[in-house]
Amino acid sequence: MEGEETYLELYLARCAAQDDLAPPRSPLLSPIVPYDVYTSNPETTFNSQLEEVTVTSGNFSSVDLSFLPDELTQENKDQTVIRSKHETEENCKTKSWQSRLPLPSQQDVGLALNSSGGSNSHSHLHPGDADSAQPSPEKPHSLPLASITPMTPVTPVSECSGIVPQLQNIVSTVNLACKLDLKKIALHAKNAEYNPKRFAAVIMRIREPRTTALIFSSGKMVCTGAKSEEQSRLAARKYARVVQKLGFPARFLDFKIQNMVGSCDVRFPIRLEGLVLTHQQFSSYEPELFPGLIYRMVKPRIVLLIFVSGKVVLTGAKERSEIYEAFENIYPILKGFKKT
Amino acid sequence: MPGGGRCPDCGSTELVEDSHYSQNQLVCSDCGCVVTEGVLTTTYTDEGNLREVTYSRSTGENEQVSRSQQRGLRRVRDLCRVLQLPPTFEDTAVAYYQQAYQHSGIRAARLQKKEVLVGCCVLITCRQRNWPLTMGTICTLLYADLDMFSGTYMQMVRLLGLDVPSLCLVDLVKTYCSSFKLFEASPSVPAKYVEDKEKMLSRTLQLVELADETWLVTGRHPLPVITAATFLAWQSLRPSDRLTCSLARFCKLANVDLPYPASSRLQELLAVLLRLAEQLAWLQVLKLDKRSVVAHIGDLLQHRHMLVRKAFRDGTAEPGALDAREEELQGPGQGQGWGREDRGHGSLDLPAGKRPASPALLLPPCMLKPPKRICPTPPVSTVTGDENISDSEIEQYLRTPQEVRDFQRAQATRQAATSVPNPP
Repeated sequence: MEGEETYLELYLARCAAQDDLAPPRSPLLSPIVPYDVYTSNPETTFNSQLEEVTVTSGNFSSVDLSFLPDELTQENKDQTVIRSKHETEENCKTKSWQSRLPLPSQQDVGLALNSSGGSNSHSHLHPGDADSAQPSPEKPHSLPLASITPMTPVTPVSECSGIVPQLQNIVSTVNLACKLDLKKIALHAKNAEYNPKRFAAVIMRIREPRTTALIFSSGKMVCTGAKSEEQSRLAARKYARVVQKLGFPARFLDFKIQNMVGSCDVRFPIRLEGLVLTHQQFSSYEPELFPGLIYRMVKPRIVLLIFVSGKVVLTGAKERSEIYEAFENIYPILKGFKKT
Repeated sequence: MPGGGRCPDCGSTELVEDSHYSQNQLVCSDCGCVVTEGVLTTTYTDEGNLREVTYSRSTGENEQVSRSQQRGLRRVRDLCRVLQLPPTFEDTAVAYYQQAYQHSGIRAARLQKKEVLVGCCVLITCRQRNWPLTMGTICTLLYADLDMFSGTYMQMVRLLGLDVPSLCLVDLVKTYCSSFKLFEASPSVPAKYVEDKEKMLSRTLQLVELADETWLVTGRHPLPVITAATFLAWQSLRPSDRLTCSLARFCKLANVDLPYPASSRLQELLAVLLRLAEQLAWLQVLKLDKRSVVAHIGDLLQHRHMLVRKAFRDGTAEPGALDAREEELQGPGQGQGWGREDRGHGSLDLPAGKRPASPALLLPPCMLKPPKRICPTPPVSTVTGDENISDSEIEQYLRTPQEVRDFQRAQATRQAATSVPNPP
């Protein structure tokens, strides 16, 4: 679980580092500030008024984003989904957001959201919030920015799972863009096996990252076994390098992640018979064939294998966020079957 | 004879349809008189004897249907008759087969798959009408293996978008138990092993319900659980004579196959029953084990709901609530008057020093067993994917020219060695 948090922190650090602006809290307190001042010269305005921010407990469930100009109403969905995960995790852990408000720390999702929103014109909020982003600056709210609504469908804080699925396998493909002589590769490479009668590709393995690749004579390659997207990319590059060193003009085109598999444990037993009754249009449970229930989620398009012990396997994702989203969608459903 | 036709000569009603060359004729089977001749031109008197033309003859619908599909439809009808299904099932199964056949993936499939498809259609029909048919039975009848069957079944359900209900456990118990040959004495079944069907059925149902409640059924094949439950029910109805009989011998007597997981299901069921027995005051003194508990299964089943609630907790119940429950259940006559007291104190009507066993966790067996291997959390990976790849790292995977020559030489000698043992 720490691995996932570090990943999220790194991501947020990268995003926050791009924008070295303080969070634009001031427009709320001085509603008359025009929007071009907001975007062009925010630093002086914000820093001067940073000390004047008073932490007042108010009704921050009704977030009013009206001060933000329209271009800031679209946000990179992936960023926000991951951030909202982080945010919901944070909400689970810390009951009072007031403690983390005063400092524009990298950990604070709400602040990071707005700091990037203040500087980058391409950072956007969810279109759903566009309605509330009409200029109506006459209502100063007490620090609503830190509790910006997450981009995923509203998940109440009490239902967030606090469990993060771990990635177990990534399958990716890449085009080396040259015809390959598989016999030569199998002869000159120690880590290759080639049995044309059994399968028409060379099976190559490297130790770090621990992966396996299928290399076809057309130049296409499939890389499996990595535990993260970056590892998969690094491994694919290493295989391409091996092929290069064997004398082929290999390139590295169209690297694409085709499938990601994650797994996690909800730690309570699940009544699969009940689940198949209530969600029959998505579930398939045949104990005569397979001990787990196969749940085909529509949005995101992920297949989940749910077992009676509470272990869940998620597969079919092209992005990491799809796995997280799918698990957050299924967790409340599974909790409904917790009591026997 | 439909239509109530009578032969104009002898008045008999035994008219049969026969063809003279290619022309259909209606002939009296008693006197041989030709009642109607041909279908197109009829005289007034003939019209009284007209037979209805079957739909399949008049529309030529069979000409639209390929021979392979016709064969499949015949197989579906045959399978329904072999299984002695009600007549309406046949039409539904045929309709499913035709529906499946419209998909190109099914039309182009191998004959083996089409054979299995027949079984899938019948299975889906039975499941939707709550007829307890297991996949094992169909695979045995079709001589198909379960992997092939499962692939075709899942594909069909997905292609046709069907909603197939789960196997009904109660009906399966009734059908399966009735197939045990223990209800009449025979040369192979001594009198002491013969049992009344109704009693055995009701007790088996109660045991299966108990297994379902205690997580022994979810995720597992249903049949071995039922076998184990039937065996225990049979044993408990006359324990003194039947305790010596093993599960394998029981199945052989009853002329039923013993499924492999049944013995482990039996052990799990006995463990649950022992846990329940620990909560009954008059059984605690007996210090039961897996053999002696069988004799008390009747009592345990009678109070099973209360005992399950008492014997197990699901990990979220507070300790206080457990105490109150324990005291409430010391005997049928005692009410709520004990109040909350610590366990082990004198208010409990037990031999000195003994307390009711602390409730076990109600979990599926797979969660109760210790994990086979602890999955370590993977180390934090700071790979970016764009790192430099050193030459030395890649070279470690390549053969030196000397190694290549050695390898080629070794391959050549191996080829020579494998070709030598085949003399011309």
